[in-house]
Amino acid sequence: MLGQGAGLKLDIGRMDEKVKIVFQSVDGDRRIEVSAPAGTSVMEAAIMNNVGGIEAECGGACVCATCHVYCDLVAPDSLPEQQLDEDDMLDMAAAERRPASRLSCQIKLSRELDGAVFILPEAQV
Amino acid sequence: MSKTAIIVGASHGGVQAAAALRQGGWDGAIRLFSAEDALPYHRPPLSKAFLAGEKTEDQILLRGEAFYRDSDIDLHRGEPALRLDATKREIETGNARYGYDTLILATGSRARRLGVDGAELDGIVTLRSLDDARRIRPALEQAGSLAIVGGGFIGLEIASTAAKAGKKTTVIEAQDRLLARALPPVLSDFLRDYHRDKGVAFRFGAAVAAFKGARGRAQAVMLADGERVDADLIVVGVGGEANVDLARQAGLKIDAGGLHVDDEGRTSDPHIYAIGDVAAAHNPHAGARLRLESVQNAVDQARMVAAGICGAAAPAAPVPWFWTDQYDLKVQMAGLSRPGTTRLMRGNPGDGAFTLLELDGDRLIAAHSVNRAADHMAARKLIAAGTPLAVDQARDTTTALAKAVARTDA
Repeated sequence: MLGQGAGLKLDIGRMDEKVKIVFQSVDGDRRIEVSAPAGTSVMEAAIMNNVGGIEAECGGACVCATCHVYCDLVAPDSLPEQQLDEDDMLDMAAAERRPASRLSCQIKLSRELDGAVFILPEAQV
Repeated sequence: MSKTAIIVGASHGGVQAAAALRQGGWDGAIRLFSAEDALPYHRPPLSKAFLAGEKTEDQILLRGEAFYRDSDIDLHRGEPALRLDATKREIETGNARYGYDTLILATGSRARRLGVDGAELDGIVTLRSLDDARRIRPALEQAGSLAIVGGGFIGLEIASTAAKAGKKTTVIEAQDRLLARALPPVLSDFLRDYHRDKGVAFRFGAAVAAFKGARGRAQAVMLADGERVDADLIVVGVGGEANVDLARQAGLKIDAGGLHVDDEGRTSDPHIYAIGDVAAAHNPHAGARLRLESVQNAVDQARMVAAGICGAAAPAAPVPWFWTDQYDLKVQMAGLSRPGTTRLMRGNPGDGAFTLLELDGDRLIAAHSVNRAADHMAARKLIAAGTPLAVDQARDTTTALAKAVARTDA
């Protein structure tokens, strides 16, 4: 009982906290800073703020690979581990897959990601 | 003078059409009409993450509010189109009449209801819209038991959400197996057993005779064989019917349960297109005219129609694909299942990860994957390309499915 109640409170508390992140075009010409509640995904933060360059056709179900980002500028240990289905989907991304490729729907905003810069690939479809 | 495009229906298809028109260079006005008050949203999470309370309404938006403003898309929320005058090229809402040069009907589908005694009782719900989900979420939280009429995708997704939350869940299905139209028996049986392991009970070959209740509130589903299934909440998920009322009244051709469209998405009126759930198009993968209720179909038809309106070449007919999430299972379907195909099992259902391949001769026509996303993605490419499959390699999970292509002598 204690565990459940405490867990719920913690979640709500985390959602209240805003995390600031930056989306940047591949050539670096376009930089958009947005903030979104902790616990939302990087994809959702892009959609809520109309960043452009993220399609997110499937809405975060990890089945479309249209929310591809490059995480070269993000500290690797602030990112969640990549699951097999994300790895598989990245092979289908429209833009070139690189070592730092991730699907932004699989990355939840946390305090550790505050200030992180995500690079938008040239195409999503 | 600048032209006006009107889109009726602001779900996956309508919103994508608006976005694609702008991206394709449409410089006239775009009016997007939604019957709902909410900002347009993703429907798949309604029966899953949203219903489970894991996602908020903000998290399931198709686009943020700024998108419509920044793209100069005039989103009319809570303003359903009530009449269509195809001769004057006008639609009429409760507020005003709006003229169009091009009209896209993306009116979607609605939940079919059961016309049996007691169907009007409180506590019997269908799930299609955000409003439905907003109502069901607290009702589900309070319910101890749930009866789901219809073992289709929505029914099974709700069953999964409910079973995970510890609700006593019973699925009542008219056929003798789950998803009989969409999936081969191996998949039906696998899903049934998986749900049973999670505590879900099934009634197969069961017809609903009536709903029973007290003081206006439903308490049980009565089956034709006399069985009574008690439940605090009853969800009816027995399929959808296309919202063709507007089009029918304007005299557009109706066919195969939807709006008849040509290969470019045009209805019988050259100024009116139809996309998504409401459109009945000839589908080369089925060899028949049909409606498809899926995100992929809505989005791809929206892109095709927008390209045509903007004078660009239409993209190639896409391979239909679909997914459903239940528990920790990701079930993905590529192509359309049909009877009489050769079936090849890749992997082992006992391991909880496998793909059932359907072949016509040596060509892959459909693939149904459970927790094998790479197979699904490969299958989409193989079906589209129509390349002959190397059967032994296709069965062998140590070879990537994408590589299981028969050698042909050049």
